[in-house]
Amino acid sequence: MDEEGIMYLIFSVIVVVIASAMIPSFGGGIYTTIAGVLLALTLILILGMNWSDFIIVPAMTSLLGITFTPSRNYTINKKQNAVLKNVNGLYYATGYITANLFAYTFKEESTPEGDELKLAQAPETWERAVMSLQFPYKFHVLSSGMDVQKVRDELEGKRSFQEFQLSRAMQTGGNEMTIADLQRKVNMLQAKMDRISQGEKPIATLMYIETTAVGVTEKAAMDALETQVRALQIGLSSQDVQLTRIVGRELYTLFSYSFSIPTSFGDIAGMFDQQG
Amino acid sequence: MNKLYLLMAFFLASVIVLAIAAEAPIPPYIKIVLLAVALLLDIIGFSSRYYMYLIKPMLKFKKHIVLSKEDAYHLSSTADAVLRKEGDNFIATVFVSIPVYRSSTEMTDDEKLEFSRQVSRLVGISRDPVRFTTQVHVMNKDSYIQTLRDTISATENEQADLMLKNASPSEQERVKGKLAMLRNMLDSISKSMSFEMVSYASISATGSKEYEAVGAAQQKARELMAGIASTFGVSPSLITGDNILKFIEPEALIPFSTMTEQISKGIEEQVV
Repeated sequence: MDEEGIMYLIFSVIVVVIASAMIPSFGGGIYTTIAGVLLALTLILILGMNWSDFIIVPAMTSLLGITFTPSRNYTINKKQNAVLKNVNGLYYATGYITANLFAYTFKEESTPEGDELKLAQAPETWERAVMSLQFPYKFHVLSSGMDVQKVRDELEGKRSFQEFQLSRAMQTGGNEMTIADLQRKVNMLQAKMDRISQGEKPIATLMYIETTAVGVTEKAAMDALETQVRALQIGLSSQDVQLTRIVGRELYTLFSYSFSIPTSFGDIAGMFDQQG
Repeated sequence: MNKLYLLMAFFLASVIVLAIAAEAPIPPYIKIVLLAVALLLDIIGFSSRYYMYLIKPMLKFKKHIVLSKEDAYHLSSTADAVLRKEGDNFIATVFVSIPVYRSSTEMTDDEKLEFSRQVSRLVGISRDPVRFTTQVHVMNKDSYIQTLRDTISATENEQADLMLKNASPSEQERVKGKLAMLRNMLDSISKSMSFEMVSYASISATGSKEYEAVGAAQQKARELMAGIASTFGVSPSLITGDNILKFIEPEALIPFSTMTEQISKGIEEQVV
């Protein structure tokens, strides 16, 4: 969770805490119980919205049957998992899947030969996956350069924290597993810093797949889209990417990216923290 | 920053309503109603981070929420950028083709490794956000199918004319054969879809005027093109006119005539 998210959470929880302190002044008896239930529900809803808004909001719109028009000629369905467009009686349904690379936590421990092998195999694996998919799709990589000094400072901060934890674990005689894990983390951060020192530019990337299906009815298009999404998840599973169907506000954001992409890294970073 | 002001406003409103509920000399059931209002304001304040665009229309209790009645975009007068209006500013997006047509089947192991490294370098080419896309779409056979349909219809007329004029059997046989050939061609072309794969990059820039935004986006695109050219040794170009639609409109991914031909063929097969 980023700083902005923490601030939103703190302010919202403060209201619940203040209200809890005021419970006796709501009348006592049954009124105290009602106030308690309301406060508990609010707290649950706020925490739920903080970690699983992409489940709660689409479930709500699905239950109430609410659909959206993000712009003329386009509709977002009630489950918020597809954007629909009707052109001359044909329905086009577009869905999105995340395709972010799995975080290689232990990457820095692997041998350079292993990395080279993966790189050498990449074009062939990609081509094989592409050839197995017989429908339209787009593979997007949205990348943005990051501030070298800022990234370096952040890495240094993290390394110092891990080193502090490591020395404390060693002094207090922590178990071997914990020490090895902390050492691994320190090595990983150091390796990242070394790569920046060698002139490599730190970049942030967001990868996602967009696929469009067509049908003579809305249902036919949606059914075809489901099939395509499943085929993509199977076809690209060999690529070491996390393939999660995108729903809710992130779908709306990615739809708007079809026509314009953000002009700064901050705009991208704040939008995608839930679904990979 | 506006978002944070909104959060503060909801927070203050919530606290004020809460204070009234706790301190005002009012019946307990009204206190509970005020508490519910305060908590609702609190939830709305929290949700305003991402969902302000939904909260206002949802409070009107409509089944269908119209977030915008405007077109999603329009093409610039120079026909090389897509424009959107956001507040008082314009956002222009330009598309740059990446003409790399190499297959791993014709590469040695070293070339494959080098190609992967080139792709890695490409992704880190710009400090500004850039989107690199590889797109697979159905090849547009619309005009070809239409030409075939027109030719079939003209040949059918020709055949009818020949029958009316009692033309020689060999002449009638020739037209019949031509018609069969054309129908076979239409059958085979619509039997399966052909796919096309293209790669491109897109980059956006903002400006208070349309031309400012387009100019800034073109400038960024020129830098990007130089980077792509030096990485892959190819000549990237700005995509213009109707070709841009191929990258933004869903119907351009699956062309209409190609699809309807496919659907009617499917129905025909099911009936048979």
